[in-house]
Formats: sequence, C-alpha cells, structure tokens
Amino acid sequence: MTQTSISTRTAFFAKHRASLGVLLLLILMPFIVGLFNGASPATVFVNGNGQSKFIQGLAIEIFILALYALSFDLIFGITGMLSFGHSMFFSVGAYLTGIAIKSFGLSLPATLGWLVIAAIIQALLFGMVLPRVKGITFALVTLGIASVFHIVVMSSELGPYTGSDVGLQGVIVPDFISPANERLRFYFIALTVLILVYLLYQRFVNSPTGRVCIAIRENEGRAQMLGYNTFYFKLAALTISSLTAALAGFLHTLYQPIVSPNTAGLGFTVTALLILLIGGVGTLNGALVGAVVFRLLDYGLRRYIGESASFISGAVYVLFVLFIPYGIVGTWRLKSFQIKQGWERLLGLFR
Amino acid sequence: MVHRPRSTVYLEGIMDNEIIFETKNLTKQFGALVAVDDVSIKVRKNSLHAIIGPNGAGKTTFFNLLSGNIEPTSGSVIFKGRDITHQPVHRTIHYGIGRSFQITNIFPNLTVFENIRLAAQALGRDNFKFWQAASQFKQYEARTLEVIEKVGLKDRAQTLARTLPHGDQRKLELGIILAPDPEVLLLDEPTAGMAAEQVPELIALIQDIQKAGDKTVMLVEHNMNVVMSVSDAITVMHMGKVLAEGTPSEIAANKEVQTAYLGGLYELNV
Repeated sequence: MTQTSISTRTAFFAKHRASLGVLLLLILMPFIVGLFNGASPATVFVNGNGQSKFIQGLAIEIFILALYALSFDLIFGITGMLSFGHSMFFSVGAYLTGIAIKSFGLSLPATLGWLVIAAIIQALLFGMVLPRVKGITFALVTLGIASVFHIVVMSSELGPYTGSDVGLQGVIVPDFISPANERLRFYFIALTVLILVYLLYQRFVNSPTGRVCIAIRENEGRAQMLGYNTFYFKLAALTISSLTAALAGFLHTLYQPIVSPNTAGLGFTVTALLILLIGGVGTLNGALVGAVVFRLLDYGLRRYIGESASFISGAVYVLFVLFIPYGIVGTWRLKSFQIKQGWERLLGLFR
Repeated sequence: MVHRPRSTVYLEGIMDNEIIFETKNLTKQFGALVAVDDVSIKVRKNSLHAIIGPNGAGKTTFFNLLSGNIEPTSGSVIFKGRDITHQPVHRTIHYGIGRSFQITNIFPNLTVFENIRLAAQALGRDNFKFWQAASQFKQYEARTLEVIEKVGLKDRAQTLARTLPHGDQRKLELGIILAPDPEVLLLDEPTAGMAAEQVPELIALIQDIQKAGDKTVMLVEHNMNVVMSVSDAITVMHMGKVLAEGTPSEIAANKEVQTAYLGGLYELNV
C-alpha cells in the first residue's frame, strides 16, 4: 500500500518536474532577486523598497496578463471562437471592482460576488448571438458589443463613476492587500490565483466538456451530427472565460488602483491575441509563456529604446508569425514530436 | 413521366410497425432548382435499402433531409411513426439515426481514438462534468475500443485522423456513426474514393453490421455490382424524382431505369 503510494508520488514528481521547478523558482524569486541586490530575505519579507519589490510588481502584472490571456485561449484556442470583444470581459471586472469599492464602499467579498454575477450576464450577452453568427461574423458582433461598452465607459454622463476618458482613479485598496505596503502578499495571492485557474483550465480541457469544445473547434458540423448541442458547450466556455477575465480585471484594479479606458478598447483584445500568437494558440501553457515574453519585451524595449519601442515590437511580432507560426509552446511540442518520430524511424533502421 | 412503376413484391402487405423510415411528398428547392421532387418512400425495418441514381439525381440532398441537415421546402420525414421533419440536426442521433458523408467528415486533428470516443460520449449524461477527466469515464473508452476493433483500426488508434490513408478514413467515419449504436445507418457512398480491392472488405463489414445488429442501412452507392448483390430494396432517383423502386431483380429488369441510369449497358448477372 505504502509502496504504491510512494511510487505514484515519485511518478508524479518525475512527470511534473519542469512545472514544479518553475513553481519553486517563482516562490523563491522575490528573495533571490533581493539577495542579488544585497537585500536580506528579512528585508524582502517586510516589503522593504528595492529591486525585489520592483520585480515583484512586474511579475504581478505578468500574472494578471497571463490570467487574461488564458481566458482568451479558452474561447479562441480551445473552442475556436474568435472574439474581438474580449477586452470587455476584462474591463467589466476592472471597472466593477473600482466602482464597487470607490463609489459604493463594498467589501472585497461582496465585490467578488457582484463580479461573478456581472461575468455571467456578459457571457450570456455574448451567448445570445452565438446561435446566429459564426466565424468572422461572431468576431464583428463581439467587436460591436465591446465598442458600445467602451463608449459607455468613456461617456461623460458616467464620469462620476468611471472617470470617463481619464480613467477610474483613487480606488482605496484594503490595507492587508495594499500593493504598496504588502506587495509580497499580493505577489503570492496573484500567483496562487493564476496557478489555481491554470489547473482548473487544464482539467476543463481534458474533461468531457472540454473535449467537445475541441471537437467544435475542429469541425462544428460533425460535432452537431454526433448529437452535441454545440451552443451549450460554447456558452460554457464563454462563461468560464468571462469569469476568469473578470477575476484578472479585479486583480488589475487592486494592483494598479487606476483603470484606464484603454482596457476596454480593441487594443487590449489584440494584446491577448498577440500573447497567444507568441506563446501558442490552444496550448494553455502558451498563454503563460506568451504573457512573460510579451510583458518583458514591452518593458525592455520601452526602457532601452523609448519612443520607437512599438515599431520594434511590431517587427518582432511579424518575425514571430513568420518563423514561429505555432508560437513558442506550439512549435516546441511539434518539433519535439517530430524529433521523437524521426529518432524512432532512425532506430528502426538498425533494428 | 407517364407511368411510375412501383414495386409490388417488396412492400406487399407491410405492416405499419415494419416501416422504420417514411417520407411523404418530400420536396427541396434551391432557388429554381428542385433537388428533391415529391419523394415518398417507405423503408422496411432491418433491411438494406439502396438509393441509386445518376449524378445530380438528388440522393445526397435526400439524405440531408432525412438526417435533418437541411429543412425541406415541403413534405415530411417520419421516423418510427414520429414526425422529425423540423428537428435540429443534433437531435438526429438521439432518435437513433447515424449519418456518414460522401466527403469524409471527421475531426482531422484528433486521434482515431478520440474521434470515436467523442461519438461514444455524445449520448451519455456526462457531457457537462467539466471537473472530471474524460479518461475517468471508462464506459465510453470501452465502447470506443470495441468499435475500433470492429472497423479494423486497432493498430491506428493513436494516429491523427488526417494522416490516415483515405480507405482508413472511410472506416473511421463508419466507426464514428457506429459508436452510439444507432438503429438506422445512412451511408452516403461509404466506398467513395476507396481502392477497388478495399471495397469488398468494407461492404462485408456493412452487411455484417446490418445482419448482426438488426439494423436498417440506407446506402447511396455507385458500384452497381455491390448494390445489386447486397440490397434488399432499391430506390432509383432521377432528376430529384423517384424513377422506380423495388427489389434488385425488378430494378435490373426495368427498361426505364436501364435507359436513364444504366445506359442499357448493365446486365444483371443472375
């Protein structure tokens, strides 16, 4: 009995060695960065100012972006629905959090409760058009819905709540999670949320429901002929995606305490698309890798090149699409599969 | 057409409960083109019923009407005494009607196993258990292995469907519709594009499935030898209309059919 449990445990560690290594690295990272800059772990632990705190901030931004990109991968990469309104899923979460805390003085759990309701409602809103439109038409309709939301957010009538084109500012974040004074705690909360969502997504993709979503991406007509009412599966994917994106928006508002109206625009949807193209569409891991590359590239270019950063980053994306068409993770999987097959064929010659 | 010869032998004295599929004045118009024109047929339960006709006769459109892929302009489709004319396409299989396509219709980027597993899972009650791994539902996997073995793709289970040779893709498609164990199989040219030597194998498989499983098979097929040797009944379509129906020997003897379709060249080897 114990023998088997030990061997399954070893098997588990062997199988997930890489992921566990990355996880350990992420847990230790704030302290390691601190040590490199001469700050003791104790200083890091009490959130002393320094390089470590800055890197933590960058990492939190990456976690939030990764969460957002994951949610887009579920509907675009897994279910095959190209939505151009995905930034709305994020910014509804972001704005709602800000308004609930600032204008209505709600507590965090109450805010989260409202967030869940709003996320489900907007998934249903997108779901309403699902049976009628497919492919590029769905992209355009979602773009339309999101544009309406963008205009509403920017309108001066809602200024007292949303801050119209200036953005929502002055959200008072509760002390225990304040990104300024308790950043290490925020770092670990964001990391935990990301890991939990990622595991949930992995499970979803391998569940009966997720497998049908993949079938819908591959050949929706055939999936219907098999007897699946594809509408419900698409709606399930949309709902889970919407909840995740709203959660990313929630963390975004708490971390930044500012919500820019740009998060509701088309540009932010394209950000998610770019992250997936860099990391690999439909791979889930790709969303995480893509978010890291995207944010670091953005940060590095802005810091060292300045004004012309977006020109260079545009060129980099073009190179990505040309030479790594399946993204980092997708190409990696393809190549390792091909190399494995090639080896087997080569070995077969000598057998 | 002056007279439309109808079979006397095949449907003689048939009881209502022996008819599994029936169409009444089924018509489908695409603009000015009448693809299926006033077709009324009856299909006997547990029979192998072939639909033949020249290209453009409306055979595939007729199948699309039966399986609910398109809605008829007028007329109705009755399955086991129940009107299923306006049911959405995803209900078809729930009634027990499986449909294969002339142009291979599979999930190209999934493995053979997953293609069939999805078909096996479809009618179960576990489709929305998103918190459990699909591999935990052993009943679907067992059914999948059973079907894979039956259609002879056992060695190919983990191959991606798109990398299969064409003949194996046709077998996979047959496997996909067998997995939910439907009562009626609508096979639209199951041997289309297959190498000649593979055809008898597949036909034997279809016959075996029909006989062993008490199933009704409706078949669109161009290979006359196959049709004449395996069918219990044949419906000949021409320009969207039913030209003739009856047993294979009746059809082969029918002058009108010979001129319209067989070109007077086909001779029945009996």
